[in-house]
Amino acid sequence: MSSEKLLIDVGSTYFKVSSASGIEQHFRDFNKEILDDLTYKCGETIHAYKKEDIYICSSANGGLSTLIIGITDSFSLKFATNIAFNSGINIIDKVIYQNIEDYSIPSDLIDVVIVVGGIDSASNIFGEPLLSYLDKLKYSNIVYVGSEQDAPKLQENIENLVVLPNIIDNRLHIVEENLKEYLTNLYQLDIEGKEDIKNLYTITSNQIYSTPYIVNQTLPFIDTKFTVVNPFILIDIGGATTDIHYSKDLVDDNIVTTNEYDRLVFKKLGVYKSKESLIFTAKNNEFVYELLTHLKVTENIFEEQSEKALQVLMQLAIFLVLCKMSHYKQAYINLKLLSINSIVLTGGITKVLADSEIEDIITFFYKKILNSNHKPSVVMDHNYDIWTLAIINNKG
Amino acid sequence: MKVVTGVVGNDIHVVANRLIELSLNARGFEVFNLGVNTYLEEFFDAAVETNADVLLISSLNGEAEGWSREVKLLRSKYKTLDKLVMVIGGNLVVGTADAETIVPKYKKYGFDLIFHQVDLNTGLDTLEEYLKERKIV
Ligand code: B12
Repeated sequence: MSSEKLLIDVGSTYFKVSSASGIEQHFRDFNKEILDDLTYKCGETIHAYKKEDIYICSSANGGLSTLIIGITDSFSLKFATNIAFNSGINIIDKVIYQNIEDYSIPSDLIDVVIVVGGIDSASNIFGEPLLSYLDKLKYSNIVYVGSEQDAPKLQENIENLVVLPNIIDNRLHIVEENLKEYLTNLYQLDIEGKEDIKNLYTITSNQIYSTPYIVNQTLPFIDTKFTVVNPFILIDIGGATTDIHYSKDLVDDNIVTTNEYDRLVFKKLGVYKSKESLIFTAKNNEFVYELLTHLKVTENIFEEQSEKALQVLMQLAIFLVLCKMSHYKQAYINLKLLSINSIVLTGGITKVLADSEIEDIITFFYKKILNSNHKPSVVMDHNYDIWTLAIINNKG
Repeated sequence: MKVVTGVVGNDIHVVANRLIELSLNARGFEVFNLGVNTYLEEFFDAAVETNADVLLISSLNGEAEGWSREVKLLRSKYKTLDKLVMVIGGNLVVGTADAETIVPKYKKYGFDLIFHQVDLNTGLDTLEEYLKERKIV
């Protein structure tokens, strides 16, 4: 670690401050603005650094949500889904246009709607049913990445529609870059737009990035710090969300992309801010009671506020995330979990659980869900080395 | 004129597929080749995305019949494929059988043109005539 830099990570639950003298970690006080809270708790450290030597990243907002409207599962929806994942966006729903009238309208505000379908030589794909669906939907942004021939008509009829080049080329192959850049920027703007985060620019002159984004960028260099055997997954269990980063070769998919690593965010699986929904998900998983028995606790643990309860929640989060990535629970993407050689864990979990407690859960998962004795090695990022590496690598 | 083509199911016989792409191109068709190992849903989905006129499926290893039985049901779920011309060719049965028994069967499965062990050029000539007759060209 460089001695002249101060690295700050603002999470939904606590913040970390890393300087030459080590890492400090503080729970956030939600009655205070982030900047006030930060200066109150580590003002001295912060004032010892120049603005240009302070680097900040934030995962406090848990990412953006999207709803995708496409015309087929095998092409438009699949391609857009893939790009949205790569950009760290949570997919709320996918709609097949020909049946759009049969879908119920989500009540939540959608951050960005993606409309896609058709190669450029196909036309008249979208019409009135799209417009009336959009009329009923609440969303902040909308982007069109389908056939160029339909673009003018849609632009005329949909307010603030952003039109980008088609993500499906003339050979039915995926074109990622434009949509990915748009979504990544949107995510970045969303973070910067938060008043709380804007204030932080009074202490740094560097751009504030989203934490998952920079962590993802660091994965190719992970072996400079750890002995990780490829392919691997990285699980970051946070207060509000659980992130999974995984190498592409774990996905059974013939989409050719340039990125080596993808990422998935499970928005409502965190151990503090979204504890309630984590417990809800757990109670709906038929293996959870067996798991609780295995851990020698009862479901009363969910009502407790103890260190033990936190440990169990974290163990549950690992189990549920692995379930979601497996064929047992059809998520958006199924990983070839039997091919994983290492599971890397980062975030607060490394302070709460011992290696053996994590291995225990992973073994339980492989036995129960996959019927296998497979045992990937567990690598713990105890000192936030991944985050440190990430933020330093991204300073340019 | 747009044609989606490929080899259905878990069939990996690739030689005919390459020849079909070349021949169709030479005859002036716009070809979308999904290659070997293609599932029915992918064929139909590709026809939707490209707004194709013709779906030309090949099958070499004997899987054709199994898949063909599902064609009608699956196609009925799509609302924009009414005009799609459906063609199948290759080795359409396991073992031997003659065209008289094979063709009516595959017509019932929902195919317009059926070429069991028919030479490619003969088959494509027939396809072009068919399209001309129906004024699809
Ligand atoms: C080479 C070959 C293989 C290679 C394939 C390599 C590759 N990647 O392509 C290998 C060894 C891997 C292989 C494997 C198998 N094969 Co093989 N294989 C052949 C072989 C010898 C030649 C195929 C070939 O390339 N011919 C050259 C091309 C140009 O001709 P074609 O494929 O016949 O296509 C022509 C026409 O059919 C027509 N056509 C094709 N599609 C269409 C579509 C339309 C619309 C039209 C108009 C015309 C058309 O146009 C082409 C040019 O005229 C044939 C036997 C033979 N002599 O045909 C068996 C054959 C096709 N295989 C057969 C079988 C059974 C298998 C296996 C199941 C064997 C096994 N038990 O493992 C596996 C299946 C693997 C799989 N998952 O698909 C059987 C199929 C029998 C059936 N349908 O009843 C055949 C006929 C052999 C036999 N007589 O038993 N095979």
